[in-house]
Amino acid sequence: MRIDYNLNDKFDFALFFSMLGLTIFGLIAIYSSTVHHPTASGNFEKQLFSAVVSLILFFVLYMFPTSYFKDSSIYMYALSIFMLLLVLVVGRKISGARSWITFAGFGFQPSEFAKIGMIFLISNFLSKQDTEIDSFRDILKTLAMGMLPVVLILVQPDLGSTFVFFAVILVLMYWKGISLLGLFIVLAPGLVAIASLFGIYSFIAALVVVIAALFYFKKDIISSAAVFAINLAAGFFADYVYKALSEHQQTRIRSFIDPTADPLGAGYNAIQAKVAIGSGGLLGKGFLHGNQTQLQFIPEQWTDFIFCVIGEEFGFIGSLIILALFVVLFLRILKIATSTKDEFLSLLIIGIFTVYLAHFIINLGMVVGFMPVIGIPLPFVSYGGSSLLINMGMLGIVANVYRTRKNYT
Amino acid sequence: MTNRKTFLYIALTVVMALVFLRLFQMQILDQKNYEEKAQENSIRRVEQIPLRGVFYDRNLKLIVSNNPAYTIRVTPSEYNKYANTLNPILESVLDVEPGYINKILYNNRTYSKYIPIRIKRGIDLKVVSWLEENSEHLPGVDYIVEMQRSYLDSIVGSHVFGYTKEINPKQLEAEKGYYTAGDYVGNTGIEKFYEKQLRGVKGYNCILVDSKRKEIGRFKDGMDDVNSIKGKDLVLSLDSDVQKAAEEALRGRRGAIVAVEPKTGEILAFVSSPEYDLNQFSYVTPKDYLRDLYSDPQKPLFNRAVMSLNPPGSTFKMLAAMAALEEGIIDTNTTYYCGGGFSYGRFYKCDGVHGTLNVIHAIEHSCNTFFYQLILKIGLEKWSDYAHRFGFGKKTGIDIGGEATGLVPDEAYYRKHYGANWPRGAMVSLGIGQGELNVSPIQLAQYTALIANNGRTFVPHIVKGYLDDKTKKIVPYQFKEVTAPLKQKTYDIVKRGMFLVVNGSGTGAALKIPDVKMAGKTGTAQNPHGKDHALFIGFAPFDNPQIAVSVIVENVGFGATYAGPIAKHVIETYLSKDYKKKKMEAKAPKFQLEAEGEQIAD
Repeated sequence: MRIDYNLNDKFDFALFFSMLGLTIFGLIAIYSSTVHHPTASGNFEKQLFSAVVSLILFFVLYMFPTSYFKDSSIYMYALSIFMLLLVLVVGRKISGARSWITFAGFGFQPSEFAKIGMIFLISNFLSKQDTEIDSFRDILKTLAMGMLPVVLILVQPDLGSTFVFFAVILVLMYWKGISLLGLFIVLAPGLVAIASLFGIYSFIAALVVVIAALFYFKKDIISSAAVFAINLAAGFFADYVYKALSEHQQTRIRSFIDPTADPLGAGYNAIQAKVAIGSGGLLGKGFLHGNQTQLQFIPEQWTDFIFCVIGEEFGFIGSLIILALFVVLFLRILKIATSTKDEFLSLLIIGIFTVYLAHFIINLGMVVGFMPVIGIPLPFVSYGGSSLLINMGMLGIVANVYRTRKNYT
Repeated sequence: MTNRKTFLYIALTVVMALVFLRLFQMQILDQKNYEEKAQENSIRRVEQIPLRGVFYDRNLKLIVSNNPAYTIRVTPSEYNKYANTLNPILESVLDVEPGYINKILYNNRTYSKYIPIRIKRGIDLKVVSWLEENSEHLPGVDYIVEMQRSYLDSIVGSHVFGYTKEINPKQLEAEKGYYTAGDYVGNTGIEKFYEKQLRGVKGYNCILVDSKRKEIGRFKDGMDDVNSIKGKDLVLSLDSDVQKAAEEALRGRRGAIVAVEPKTGEILAFVSSPEYDLNQFSYVTPKDYLRDLYSDPQKPLFNRAVMSLNPPGSTFKMLAAMAALEEGIIDTNTTYYCGGGFSYGRFYKCDGVHGTLNVIHAIEHSCNTFFYQLILKIGLEKWSDYAHRFGFGKKTGIDIGGEATGLVPDEAYYRKHYGANWPRGAMVSLGIGQGELNVSPIQLAQYTALIANNGRTFVPHIVKGYLDDKTKKIVPYQFKEVTAPLKQKTYDIVKRGMFLVVNGSGTGAALKIPDVKMAGKTGTAQNPHGKDHALFIGFAPFDNPQIAVSVIVENVGFGATYAGPIAKHVIETYLSKDYKKKKMEAKAPKFQLEAEGEQIAD
């Protein structure tokens, strides 16, 4: 067989195989956690089917004419907003959040699709010639584009996705080259809002830091006052948002502060997840031999807590393999994002990169006990058809950009 | 651009490093810790309660055994939803007061609603079949079979066997290693004394449970299970026929009987009356019953055989006689005159006018005057020393708890209580077993056994040993020998006197048993609170004693009239048993009573 020496140049094997590796690892873990489960035992087959469909989408998008992406931005965004509205009307409620649309027997989460829609539109906007990222007007425009889906998702409500959206907006603006001041103006209200959740003292402390920063930037008094007012408002707004969260999310945030306070309640998952991973040791308990997994100590482990299965049954070694695959994936995506000269494509890929990374951080942070339990899947590994479809589709776009990167030099 | 890229690389590196270090900490450094938690999580040990050892009598007749009993349970996870409807129904079927179930469920609540809670033990078979029939309408209700004690109808034995009871928090605290709440432990009698032997060794099954403690199966197919070890089946020295006879003889009266085999110290019968019904204790003890027992003026829970203390009365005369004979103060030629009493500071009266008599006849006729004079010759210290040699003033060490020490006074005692010039007259009463002298029925039985067997017996005991399950042989428990080494002649003289009590013209002449030579001594314990207590000690056959008995009947009066016949009945019952008779006939040749008597009396 003749090897096409050009193939390596057109197709990023490292990217593809790290994705494939994660998906296969995920399938193994899903099989292990559901094979003895009374109601979820068909999940492995479903995920396998989703993986095949997703791979097809990956290749379709890989082969897609690259120039079409930019033109489709506005349609993608419009479609995602439409679906977010639709889900509020016809959506199915699962664990307190109305986030699913069922179509022809398949469940689909519009919030997954909305990520890509938003990335497309913002990347499109930021890559326009006349966009001035450090202008207050364009910052607001960018934020507005991002906030529309965020608001619709918060109504569902889906806390995890909201974090991801914020991360994507922020990183896109950062990648575009926002100034330190601009970044401060965008970032500060969010940090103040989070600080306010921890009580009045941390709220005041955060405001003091904001004032100190305003002195550092030495802007005129009116701008400074406006920024401070926004931060102050954000703090009070956070309280409103916190109350808007569903009760189980509230208790999860509370129990993060002290998970042992209610070991059979909200802190339960966090404790059991740590026990599962920790007890895996160096080599793990072996495939299908993790008692935490097999005895279903963690509800719906195949979704957000899939990493526990790997940690328990394949141990530290297994965990490191997952980590390594993600490192390869992230490095490849970053490499492609920096190698393309087209600003839109670069922003698009950085947006996709941010989606993966945010998911990775929030999910891993949750299962190893760094963060509160916020339901968010681990890309490629967790069970979930729409999530896998969107993730592989996005990576198809990345691979597409790699394929045609030389056309844009 | 390069700057921005570098920052993203740094951020990525920091994130990966943090996750890596955290995983390293969890999976490598703290692995043991998490592993333990994972194990605790998923495997629950369910105790196997071993079968409690049963009791056989000395002829290997089963006298206390185990019977299956039904216990109704409720699993709150399923039951609670329907509690409001089911509570009144169950409460009426179980015949308990309204609110009973909620109270039990509340008192026994645990962290998991999946753990069944015992509602009532020993439920009726009718209720069990009702549960079976209606099981589909009774979510979360089930029953299990547990073992309860089962007793013979013919013997009560409440103070020998004792009862078992659900362990109380205090006991649980004291015995932390072994017991868990809900266990049954021996609370009195042999059940208590031999608790460690009877209970066996608990085992456990490893059960897999899920995160909600719901059972999902056996761990490793039971490979890690540890089987329980059955409790030891005890062989008692009791003879169920003798025990039955003794119980019947005392029924309706207050008192105690202890019958012992002199050569071995084995207890043949052990009765304290009134008794109580052990069957009431075999499962949930009704509170009313226990309260009644505590408040009963007859004190049925009081084990008179080892706990009641009274002056021994005339049964103690042999002690003074033996002390005097052994010390050479008197011999059979020594005589005292009885004119109906004795003056020593005041007048101490005798029950008759006996004239001149020696020690043998003094015992035969229970002459007080003789012993008033004798104890003054012996002296308090010597007398006290001999009382101790025969086991008075200290616990015998019988294998039943709660034994009383009793009191044998000596000079130090009187000096302590009455000063240096204590009235010497106090001593005079001691000669006839009255005054500040307290003994228990078990001490008297041991004393009788020592006399019967010429100063050699063993610590009185109820359990001979246990029955080895494999060999079906009795593995004996070891008991210490108890000796009172006196000259054989001393014993012969005293026993001769006791023989004449029954077979001569003595106080117990009415107690003569045909074909069997019995010896004994009546006694009357003065009781400041009412009628005197009747006492009798005796043994038979005279030549080769097989049984020694001590009997006390409270508040009835003279010993020969009440206690003597009871002792006689117990002795007769034992000796009339076929095997005993044969043994006796083979062993004991006809002996010449008259000749022997003359020899000693000279």
